[in-house]
Amino acid sequence: MSLELLIDILIATVPLMLIFATLFAFTTWLERKALARIQNRIGPNKVGIPCTRIGLFGLGQPAADGIKMIFKENIVPRGADRLFHLLAPILALIPSMLVLCFLPLDFPWLNENSVKAFLLDGAVIFFFAITGLNTLAVFMAGWASRNKYSLLGGMRAVAQMVSYEIPLVLSAVIVVMMVGSLNAGEIAGAQKGGNWFVFSPWGFAAFVIFFIAALAETNRSPFDLPEAESEIIAGYFTEYSGFKFALFFLAEYIAMFAISGLAVTLFLGGGDGPGLAVLPWLSVIWFLAKIFALIAVMIWLRGTLPRLRVDQLMGFAWKFMLPLSILNIFVAGFAWHAEQLDNKFIMVITWLISLAVLYGAASGLNQLNRGKVRPREYKYAE
Amino acid sequence: MRILGGGIFKGMAVTLRNFVGSYINKKERLPTNDYSWRADGALPQSIGDYPKEKGEQLSDTTTVTEYSRNFPMLLHDGGEPMDTVRCVACQICERECPPQCIYIEKDYDENGKYIKRPAVFDIDVSVCMSCQICVEVCPFDAIVMNSQFELSTPDRFGGLLVRRDDLLKSNDYYHKIHPEEAAARDQKMAVEKAAKEAKKKAAAEKAKAAAEKKAAEAAKEEAK
Amino acid sequence: MSTAAAPNYELIQQDGLETNLLEVSMGPHHPSTHGVFRMDVKLDGETVVDLRPVFGYLHRNHEKLAENMSYLSSMPFTDRLDYFNSMTNNWAYALAAEKLIEVEVPERAEYLRVIMAELTRLVNHVSLVGFFINDLGALGTPLLYAFREREKILDLFEQASGARMMCNYFRFGGLRNDVPEGWLERAAKVVDHFPSFLDEYEQLLCENEIILSRTQGVGNLPRELAISAGVTGPMLRASGVAYDLRKVDQYGIYDRFKFRVPYTDGDTGDCYDRFMIRMLEMRESIEILKQALAGIPEGEIMGNAPRVFKPKPAESYGRIEGPKGELGFYLIADGTPKPYRYRVRPPSLINLTVLRDMCLGGKIADAVIILGSIDIVLGEVDR
Ligand code: SF4
Ligand code: SF4
Repeated sequence: MSLELLIDILIATVPLMLIFATLFAFTTWLERKALARIQNRIGPNKVGIPCTRIGLFGLGQPAADGIKMIFKENIVPRGADRLFHLLAPILALIPSMLVLCFLPLDFPWLNENSVKAFLLDGAVIFFFAITGLNTLAVFMAGWASRNKYSLLGGMRAVAQMVSYEIPLVLSAVIVVMMVGSLNAGEIAGAQKGGNWFVFSPWGFAAFVIFFIAALAETNRSPFDLPEAESEIIAGYFTEYSGFKFALFFLAEYIAMFAISGLAVTLFLGGGDGPGLAVLPWLSVIWFLAKIFALIAVMIWLRGTLPRLRVDQLMGFAWKFMLPLSILNIFVAGFAWHAEQLDNKFIMVITWLISLAVLYGAASGLNQLNRGKVRPREYKYAE
Repeated sequence: MRILGGGIFKGMAVTLRNFVGSYINKKERLPTNDYSWRADGALPQSIGDYPKEKGEQLSDTTTVTEYSRNFPMLLHDGGEPMDTVRCVACQICERECPPQCIYIEKDYDENGKYIKRPAVFDIDVSVCMSCQICVEVCPFDAIVMNSQFELSTPDRFGGLLVRRDDLLKSNDYYHKIHPEEAAARDQKMAVEKAAKEAKKKAAAEKAKAAAEKKAAEAAKEEAK
Repeated sequence: MSTAAAPNYELIQQDGLETNLLEVSMGPHHPSTHGVFRMDVKLDGETVVDLRPVFGYLHRNHEKLAENMSYLSSMPFTDRLDYFNSMTNNWAYALAAEKLIEVEVPERAEYLRVIMAELTRLVNHVSLVGFFINDLGALGTPLLYAFREREKILDLFEQASGARMMCNYFRFGGLRNDVPEGWLERAAKVVDHFPSFLDEYEQLLCENEIILSRTQGVGNLPRELAISAGVTGPMLRASGVAYDLRKVDQYGIYDRFKFRVPYTDGDTGDCYDRFMIRMLEMRESIEILKQALAGIPEGEIMGNAPRVFKPKPAESYGRIEGPKGELGFYLIADGTPKPYRYRVRPPSLINLTVLRDMCLGGKIADAVIILGSIDIVLGEVDR
């Protein structure tokens, strides 16, 4: 490897890491603040510039938390598997960090060479392959902690992540079908000029399925069963403290960025947005803004919803999301053929039909799966 | 037909409304900021950033509410506290206090004669549960509740035992923190005092009458 | 009476493959056992095959303590039984003692008692629903909305009694003090505002698909079991028995108010019913509060009961419809200033006895929400 290439790679990767680490800190603050406001609290508002009374809306909070985490005692339970206990958080962090590289972010400082390191043709496949490793880390943590809650959390996590990976991939397949490429840059390029996939019935359905599955993949509410506080304490990281816990936390948020980044690439046009012709670097801003929009929705959902039960969660994946995403692939296939005809009228018809089919299928599946659940009437005694 | 996921969207609308509302309608949405119902609506201003800026006024004279109660205090009627202290060390409150956190010793003068006041009157902050049973059972209106709540101390042994001299507060102070209650109590005491005096007078008269009668009888006897 | 049997399960025992039940001790330190309560759960995967509740961690000797102090002195301790509902605890105890010494309670005091009790019911139900949804896994949002409203009611309590939770406000023959000036208007304001909050709460919770699917059909309590286990309160009504002491005993002045008692037809009796019954009961409490606040007369607040007294040897049982169920105090007097026997009938404990029957066969997550829907306070369970 030549020195030049090494430098190029460093130029490409180091700022990426720094940017996302900063964004992570900012997101924890944002999440706490937004949740607080949703719940009619004020949220962190004291920690600002040290030794002064300047609160800065609590923006110093992540730094304070980080310092606290680093200095906390590292507790490993007696009888735990020390090696795997140590490896799990690291293994959780690495894949989430790795996949960040494949987001089509056109940083202005990237040159031809350094970009090459990223322009992997199988980016989408690579993405899913790498994020699959997360499951391993979670189960490793659950197993190594020698705690029943951790074990339960680990088992839940494995079941959940494996099931939701399928709808996740199947909905990504639609975009791959439409574009005819697995390259993230090309997928984003195909949606230039407001031609986003989310603006079509099949694309929208795929986006919703993708987003829901992404929530499950990143263990976000309402699918946060592996770390369900009210049931199994903190799930697989019950026995983690200090810096290792911080690593898990970091990994979780980076995974959130990564998967929202993929959603943005696949469905929301990547860095596409107004003003690109004048200022090309604006695409980075647009990309990050879209990621934050998705994260805001995640936070919002987290502030609103309780969580599902474990069997309902699996049922939802296999009985609702999977059939729907398979159906969606067919719909998208038809739509692709209709598109080739290049006829406005046929296009409109296709749109209407696919809308009807998708909505009908969704409500039909919902009806099938709801069991005896329905609103009830109550009586009154005088 | 019900919309798919309609209940979830409804819930999200509620949370969104609360999110926005917490910025524009603070009084409704962040009600812990609203002290307007309190006796002095200006409480938050005078406190400021409470744990960081605690003022003298906060721990001493602020009326939190009329009936706020936190820890008992002993009343005296002004001047040298121990001269006018109302407590006579009858120890009723010591007996009745549910968690038994009062300790009283009677005061004696050099001759060993009981003077009606406590020599020792300790209350344990860490045990007292602010129930004001002591206030209610005291027949001499000598003990009432203070609203002072800055009772924490770095000394966990001696500091948590509040001594007689720290418990003593003047009636004026009591009027300042609980105006209505203090006025009612003063009135009640005045009535009781009047009744007592009337009774005393009546008793004295009775005694006088009895004495007169006796004297008359004695005179009669003598006359016989 | 039907007692649930452990569901059928088979452990796989094949060559080289052996499975075991997972025994988890949930609690006494667990985020959702509502205090120091322990459930010994045997799990087959995530399914509960056996559950053993263990309590007593918060035993504070309440009854024996009360037998060693005067009648009045144990009044503040009743606050600490069910620390959410100190007002109703006070009332039940006052009722029992008033029967012993036979004092009349003045009109205004009766009205204030009803007002305080119904406000307490609002506080209890609203925070119970919040905790319940918290057990379902929400991030505390409904709970904090509940606490936002609870705060307003606690402010009212503080103005009236001087304390927010440990009110210690009722006395034998009346109340400790009259409410301060302007209190009734403020209370009316809070009460008028409450329905709009309930609307919001219902919008947030009652149609949420996740809540529906998590709670319906979970933790069924059949009517017969509920009756034979002595379950009372909203739990009993959710199992289809329209039984409310406010209607049955008409203690205090409840006969003067028009209100309805919500109940189900009893073929479900699950967590959702218990949750909804409480939501509906709050609306009825508001009706009572409105009538009481409109009708309250001026007058004395305290009957002429002595502070310290020696009742003649007798026994009495005072019971009220507490927010959690029938709360009763049983006193035996022996002519001394202290009760000879003092016994509490805690609704939390008795409602808790059916926990195992409701949980068997469910998932571990169900066990948590069933416990939440019973509405226990460990201070009352263990006393
Ligand atoms: S307030 Fe209650 S606990 Fe405190 S000293 Fe008085 S009687 Fe005892
Ligand atoms: S405070 Fe009252 S009850 Fe207590 S010893 Fe003094 S006079 Fe007696």
